[in-house]
Amino acid sequence: MFFSQMIKSTGSRNTAAILGSFLATVALTIAITLLWPFGDLVEQVFAGGTFFFIFWAAVFYWAILATDGTKAWGRVFILLIPALVIDIISLAS
Amino acid sequence: MKQQTHKRLYDTHAWVGIISGILLFIVTFSGIPAMFEHELSYWQYPAFGEIPEDKSFDLQRTIDTANTIGFNYDEYFIQPPDEVNNHIMIGHFPEEGEFDIRYLKTGSYEELEASPSELGHILTFLHTDLYLPRPYGRYLVGLAGMAMLLAIIAGILIHVKWRKEFVMLRPKRSWRLLLTDQHKLLGLWSLPFTFILAFTGTILGLLGIITPILALAAFDGDVKKATETVLGPSATITGVAAPVYPLNDLMKKAYIDLPDADIKFIQIEGAGDKGGQVKFSAYHNKHLSNVETVTYSTASGETIHEGSFIGKGPFQRIFAAVTPLHYVLFGSVWLKICYALAALGTCGLIVTGNMLWLDRRGHGMKHILSKLTLGICGGLVITTCALFPASQILYVFKLGEEQHHVEEWLLWGIWGITILLPFIWKNGFQLTHWMLRTSAALLLLTLIADGLINGRWIWLTSGWNFYIQAGLVFFALLLIYLDIKMPDKKKEKFIGRESSAAGEPIV
Repeated sequence: MFFSQMIKSTGSRNTAAILGSFLATVALTIAITLLWPFGDLVEQVFAGGTFFFIFWAAVFYWAILATDGTKAWGRVFILLIPALVIDIISLAS
Repeated sequence: MKQQTHKRLYDTHAWVGIISGILLFIVTFSGIPAMFEHELSYWQYPAFGEIPEDKSFDLQRTIDTANTIGFNYDEYFIQPPDEVNNHIMIGHFPEEGEFDIRYLKTGSYEELEASPSELGHILTFLHTDLYLPRPYGRYLVGLAGMAMLLAIIAGILIHVKWRKEFVMLRPKRSWRLLLTDQHKLLGLWSLPFTFILAFTGTILGLLGIITPILALAAFDGDVKKATETVLGPSATITGVAAPVYPLNDLMKKAYIDLPDADIKFIQIEGAGDKGGQVKFSAYHNKHLSNVETVTYSTASGETIHEGSFIGKGPFQRIFAAVTPLHYVLFGSVWLKICYALAALGTCGLIVTGNMLWLDRRGHGMKHILSKLTLGICGGLVITTCALFPASQILYVFKLGEEQHHVEEWLLWGIWGITILLPFIWKNGFQLTHWMLRTSAALLLLTLIADGLINGRWIWLTSGWNFYIQAGLVFFALLLIYLDIKMPDKKKEKFIGRESSAAGEPIV
């Protein structure tokens, strides 16, 4: 009960927006750098570098605009988990 | 936009601003002198201005002179004369220990004593690293830039009546309305510059954090390999001696290999070794790129690496443009002035934002944030203005290399005292007036000190010395104007039809 209230709280929503968005951004940046189909390796790297900031700002606002902490973390995980799966599969292969 | 979304964005804008505001002010305000670091470094040391104008540059002669004056290192860099300076700079920056920088006069190649004042460098280091250990200060600056970007995004989304707000200033209404109008006006007018500065500043600040992430994705986590792929390899010293290929010939070759570019930086590693190399780095004249490079072997003269971002993909072009856009390495001095004015506007934007947040919650000067905003932000203005006359007056005492330590002590001493002032002086309006007047007086004192000590009276100077002095006069006049316009006390509540009709919160 206490745990679910804590996850739902405004503080949790803000944590999702600040910390969660950063973690999701790192995972998304690695994924897009690995999958970027245009240009050479250097272009791939710089595409990832540019998207890092776009992802961070976008995920931050997507999380902070959620109605509560649970939904904010939900939004973070919707992005984080698939990105992590892509990262692990691509890096392992 | 839903009312709840608008409110959430509004709250986020306010909180991001409040949390990062003072730090952002420090970074933004110190960014103004940092933008003019090159010009300030020229002005701060009158000996630089006394070198006869000569932009010729002989690389071999520079290296030969360096060897005769005891500058013997395996790895060092050379900065040829440029549009501001008539001196050649040679420097060695070891990973650990003291760095060694020497100056040579163009034409005669005589050694010139290093500038005792470090005004330009001190203010630039505050901007880039906040005087914190590397790389943590830079990361903090990058995070401040990110906070600024987030505040800008929310600020754009919540200000839906921007056409009206572009020209709305109601100075005779309440204090809060004045702050609101000023905040919106400054934000809207400086928006393109602020956005560019925030975006490029964030990239520059956080590059150290994102590089390992990108290297993990594309180079199996090898940061060195990633850096070398982009900027060219480092020299591999073999221990086998080899004669040095004529360096002036390599410089001519570099000008052919880097067309439409100005060579700004020459890095030499292991010359005399079989694996030695020389790297020429240039700013492109027609495109936004300061990372045009070509690397040659010092043994054979063969090209080892060519790095150009021109004609490459859009993301390489974005990254190549980051530094030129942030430090205005393109356009004329007028563009730099526009940037500087926009940065001043951003400083006003930050301060009015903090004051609005406090006012809306009914906090006055007693609130710690009021005191810190006035002490840190106002204090930084006074301190910066005090460092200018100090840099010239200290020449009287002939302190030599010690001078820059005294300047650093002055920076922290004056700033420390001014941070404490709001805790003692209770009337914030009165203190602000005095801060503005003192800052203006210090800038005008700079002109007098420069005239008396160096004979550089403003009506006798020309070129960059005149531009710097004119800039000081302009800033002093701006501070005096703000002092005149700034009210002496908070205006009483005003409830009127116009205020309500405009949809503004009634004080």
